[in-house]
Amino acid sequence: MSHGTGETAGEITGETAEEITGEITRFLTDALRRPVGPDDDYFELGLVDSLFALELVTYVEQRFDLTVEVEDLDLDSFRTARRLTAFVRRKTGAETPDRTRAGDR
Amino acid sequence: MSAEVTFHTAAPVAVEAVGRHLPDRTHTVAELPELAGLSEADRLTCLNLGIETVLADDGLTSYDLAERAARAALDRAGLPAASLGALIVIEPRAPETLISSDATRLQHALGADAATVFTVGGLGCVSVTPALLAARGLLAADPSLGHVLVAHGSKPAGGARYRHPVTVNGDGGQALLLTRPHPAAPIRVLDLVQRTDGRYWDLFRLEYRDRPTARWREECRDLPGYSFRLAMETRNRLGALVDELLSRNGLTRADIAGYASQNLSAGGLAFTEETLEIGLLPSCRENLRRFGHLGPNDVFLNLGTALAGRELAEGDLAVLLNVSPVAAWSALLVEIGPQHGREGTA
Repeated sequence: MSHGTGETAGEITGETAEEITGEITRFLTDALRRPVGPDDDYFELGLVDSLFALELVTYVEQRFDLTVEVEDLDLDSFRTARRLTAFVRRKTGAETPDRTRAGDR
Repeated sequence: MSAEVTFHTAAPVAVEAVGRHLPDRTHTVAELPELAGLSEADRLTCLNLGIETVLADDGLTSYDLAERAARAALDRAGLPAASLGALIVIEPRAPETLISSDATRLQHALGADAATVFTVGGLGCVSVTPALLAARGLLAADPSLGHVLVAHGSKPAGGARYRHPVTVNGDGGQALLLTRPHPAAPIRVLDLVQRTDGRYWDLFRLEYRDRPTARWREECRDLPGYSFRLAMETRNRLGALVDELLSRNGLTRADIAGYASQNLSAGGLAFTEETLEIGLLPSCRENLRRFGHLGPNDVFLNLGTALAGRELAEGDLAVLLNVSPVAAWSALLVEIGPQHGREGTA
């Protein structure tokens, strides 16, 4: 597993939002052992238990070099790969809050 | 911060004796009647909790369990109930009657006539912590006070034992006889910290006013919130709590010989281990498998089993962790004293 260096998510690998979404989608597909699309709500599908939540948040923190604080724990930021991408870009400064889609916060 | 410093410098509390009443009878989880009414996914969740059997005695109420445990603790110590300075009852999930007092009922049954008597609770399985805080406060504030007895009978609130998706509740009573520290005490509670977050006050609840007891169900109003938000808040809170507990006692994790937690599920135990990067004492999984969840009694039951199995020895330090979806978190720092056969699982 790669670790960030303090740069923003986009700057770490030069990835676009779509590329980050693709990477997160692959992680989710591996972790949940079933195909997960960019807009699939894996919470709504009942696929999340506390151990998976821990694995997901730990992955996001380590891969994108950020810390998920208690105040970041808005379910809407984590329920799909695309929303998680927006959260990552927001936390790492690659996307400013006023560029996020409605409902991401 | 100043409150924590004052708290830390308070005297430790000795656990003089532990009494328990663990029913002889068990229910096999796979044969619980409520499983028939569950979806296949929910049924599998229940069967994968790591609980094979739960203790169960349908003829005993939570009060009965607490009374038997209280008598066992007094017998172990050879202490007459009349000499108790205080009696603290940890409230049951559901009392047999409203308005009445299980605490003074126990006082009367035991003959603890001189004891200061009251009930604590409201924090699920974390409720053992306010009981210890109250006991320590009483012992510190009143030099003439005798022993303090803390008692609890754990029993599910309704007829169903399975609380989706968390645990299966068993039956069991436990009582801790507490006093000021002395060299012969088998366990000393050196320090304890507790935190709560009221946003989760009704995450789990049981509606009862408009329905017969056969329809009482422990329900979660927000399953994703439980599995994600509270779980992640617990990750952050629990780590900080243990660090705070150890640092203010001048300790590091290397000084801790063992950790015990409450028994909710195998996944819950693994979550705690991964969150804190620790291994829990083997007694936790063993008691989970055999007994199910016994609420506020779990952590001292697991400690007792660990002592009986020599997983811990005299001089060892251990941390007892409790997490409740209320939400509440607590961590207790305990030191193992000489074992004289007064502690154990019986």
